[in-house]
Amino acid sequence: MARGADFAEVYAERSDTTAVVLEEEKVKSAQAGQSVGVGVRVIVGGKVGYAYSDDLDDDALLRAAETAALIAHGDKQHAPVSVARRPLPTFYRLDKHLHAVDVAHKRDLVVRADKAARAADPRIKQVTATYADTTKRILVANTQGHLAEDTQDLCRMSVGVVAAAESGERRTGSFGGGGRVPFSHFDTFTPELVAKEAARQACATFGAADAQAGQQTVVLAPGWSGILLHEAVGHGLEADFIRKGTSLFAGKLGEKVASELVTVIDDGTMANARGSLNVDDEGEPTQFKVLIERGVLKGYMFDALNAKLMGQKSTGSGRRESFKHLPLPRMTNTYLAPGEQSPEEIIGGVSKGVYCANFGGGQVDITNGNFVFEVTEAYEIEGGHLGRPLKGVTLIGVGPVALKNVTAVGNDPLPDPGMGTCGKDGQGVPVGVGLPTVRIDNMTVGGTKVKG
Amino acid sequence: MSAVTNKHQAFAKRLVDLAMTRGASQAEAFVQVGRTADVRVRDGEIEDLTQATSKGAGLRVIVDGRLGFCWTSDFAEGGLSSFVDLGLSLAKAAAPNEHNGLPKLDDLGAFPDVGPLFDPQVAELRADWKIQAALTMEKVVKAFDPRLKTVDSVGAGESVGEVYLANSLGTQGGYDGTYVYLYASPVASEGEQLQTSSWVDYRRFFKELDSPEAVATEAARRTVRMLGAKKVKSCKVPVVFEPMMTASFIGSLAGACNGDAVHKKASFLAGKLGQAIAPKHFTLIDDGRLTKGLGTSPFDGEGVPTRTTRLVDQGVLGAYLYDVFTARKAGARTTGNAARGYRSTPGIGTHNLYLEPGKEPPEAILKGVKAGLYVTTMLGHGANAVTGDYSRGANGLWIENGELTHAVQEVTVAGNLTDMLQKVDAVGNDLTFRGSTGAPTIRFSELTVSGE
Repeated sequence: MARGADFAEVYAERSDTTAVVLEEEKVKSAQAGQSVGVGVRVIVGGKVGYAYSDDLDDDALLRAAETAALIAHGDKQHAPVSVARRPLPTFYRLDKHLHAVDVAHKRDLVVRADKAARAADPRIKQVTATYADTTKRILVANTQGHLAEDTQDLCRMSVGVVAAAESGERRTGSFGGGGRVPFSHFDTFTPELVAKEAARQACATFGAADAQAGQQTVVLAPGWSGILLHEAVGHGLEADFIRKGTSLFAGKLGEKVASELVTVIDDGTMANARGSLNVDDEGEPTQFKVLIERGVLKGYMFDALNAKLMGQKSTGSGRRESFKHLPLPRMTNTYLAPGEQSPEEIIGGVSKGVYCANFGGGQVDITNGNFVFEVTEAYEIEGGHLGRPLKGVTLIGVGPVALKNVTAVGNDPLPDPGMGTCGKDGQGVPVGVGLPTVRIDNMTVGGTKVKG
Repeated sequence: MSAVTNKHQAFAKRLVDLAMTRGASQAEAFVQVGRTADVRVRDGEIEDLTQATSKGAGLRVIVDGRLGFCWTSDFAEGGLSSFVDLGLSLAKAAAPNEHNGLPKLDDLGAFPDVGPLFDPQVAELRADWKIQAALTMEKVVKAFDPRLKTVDSVGAGESVGEVYLANSLGTQGGYDGTYVYLYASPVASEGEQLQTSSWVDYRRFFKELDSPEAVATEAARRTVRMLGAKKVKSCKVPVVFEPMMTASFIGSLAGACNGDAVHKKASFLAGKLGQAIAPKHFTLIDDGRLTKGLGTSPFDGEGVPTRTTRLVDQGVLGAYLYDVFTARKAGARTTGNAARGYRSTPGIGTHNLYLEPGKEPPEAILKGVKAGLYVTTMLGHGANAVTGDYSRGANGLWIENGELTHAVQEVTVAGNLTDMLQKVDAVGNDLTFRGSTGAPTIRFSELTVSGE
């Protein structure tokens, strides 16, 4: 601040990570790691200086502050800033931090998952089971006088299987979940449940037919398919893309950007959800934000810097992967509000189409709005009923167009089981997604079979 | 090597010695130290400037055939004993596995001379140069075409890193390296459409880096040509991948050559060693010793000397990639492909992966296409290594009578890798490295394009 910065911030972080990996019926390794570091950010106008280090001694901190201040040059005098702690709500208080749970209990989860997956179906040939948790403590203090501290636990267990049929055909399945939950979460979300679902997915698509390429009506199963919403609209509503004019949603506030059935919410305050935060990585409390209401664009997601440059307030959306990264406006838990139709009605109304039961990953080009999803479990819909499994299905579309083509929204909202990590500018952060059953018309389905 | 060098080398050895005294049967320490700097600009000013230092150590210990792994960024003397004890206690939670362990002595051996990897000019690169280079790129982009009004990001940076390894068999090694890069992703707008593309250059040596003007011009050219992009009808046509897309395609193939996936029969290439999987003009190489390569190093993540592996030799599947653990399981020998950072145990990865260039210039490859798709960007992860199913979102240009015509978006290209490999009917002479993967233009005689 001695150099005349408008704003300075210190972000300190300590995280303890534990992971247990099982492969080929053996616990391959038990691992633990600890990282400690600090990032210093200085802002002058729209310019940002950032320096980080994993050395915490005074010299290193001062060097970091000086580096960050390289972008500032002036001789404004500043009075010392007095910093006050912010009272915070809590959306994930745990009796015992995950880091403190004995690694032997974590090992037991993956051993049980392996047994259950192999017992689920004789065609299961390979099982990989992983448990990982992090207990992360953060402290953010800035020259606006704010100080916030939080302890963020996060865990996830996942199972991947390869199944082989007598014909030699091989299919894969994977399932998992967790969140900012106590270890006792796995008493109900058991390794057996996770393993059975992974095995079911792998075996369900044996003998799958090639998907028909071209435009079709698709119905998305509830839950994890919310990743489509995350990609198709979520990213395009993050304030950095809006400010730079690189999102198709820039300048469209108050306009109709989706079908009237579409209400999109980003909620950082859901109890124990993977994407929830008591406070974002700039010290702002997270919020329940309505982004699109009945098809009308209502708001964007702001971090502090983009909010300031655009004359807005932070929405508590400033997140970073670690002290090694600058905060960016990011999603937390993003979901589509439920509608009125039952899933049976929705599927029953489709004479010919594709039912997308499970998704792999997705990706979006924010600028031209193109998004893709890999559908790992798909079925054809014939005369309102689910038919044969399909393979190699990819969905592709342009975000705003797909949103306008939403013609039915179910009454069966479902959050994903807690396994999403979102990547942006090389930074991964945990997120939640969710969706009721949804019908989208005229969606391009990538496949290998061409009509005619 | 500098005094700093010796300090970290000694630290690695100290961790190993400590682990052995406290009860490990074998131990290995992997230490990374580095610093990075990056500048981005916008509207003629610095947008952000980031500088960082980082360090970390990973310790693998084996106790009675059980593997424990821990990592830390805290090198303080006081914490070392408890750090080592953590590793030993984690080993107790894992299962014994006869394949665990350090490389055998005859796999270790002398490190090859891989030539210089470190450029003092990069290590001493001043912030001013990066700022000027980035400002020049932004200026060149905006002057290229009036429809280029904004940028997603434009910047420059460098990275300097050191790696040290020590194990209880007496192996000790270290190397340092640099790289410097420029990147630009402009945004073009016309009517309701926004399009983006990008271009980068990465080099170990400053003198080899493309000029800021060249990088910016190529980025601008690639962006503007995407304006007016539209869907095409679903069809089966010849598809041409430009070098960056070929690079991603051979990345998927290398993933299927992963010895672990092969051993688990989770690769479509399992059991095909020695078989012709592609035409004669298809030769895929992983080279750990490529002169000045971004992926070059004298030894891999477990101290095994690097080498050159011909994965596909004139169409014939020649080798799989192994680290020590996987090689033991599969009854093979390590190929020196253990890839890792200090936060993880070794996995299998490539060094410098490239497809040998052919004789045809890219123009001649296009000339041979009456109607087809030239792919310049892809979305999604695409390839399923187990089944070989390949389906990705694609953007590019339509080829008509051997000439590039209008831009194409919102389509997918799909096939199966087994079949796609056989269909590679042309390999260009334009081998291009951007990073550690290099590839020329290639053409597939026919793939499915899904659109309208």
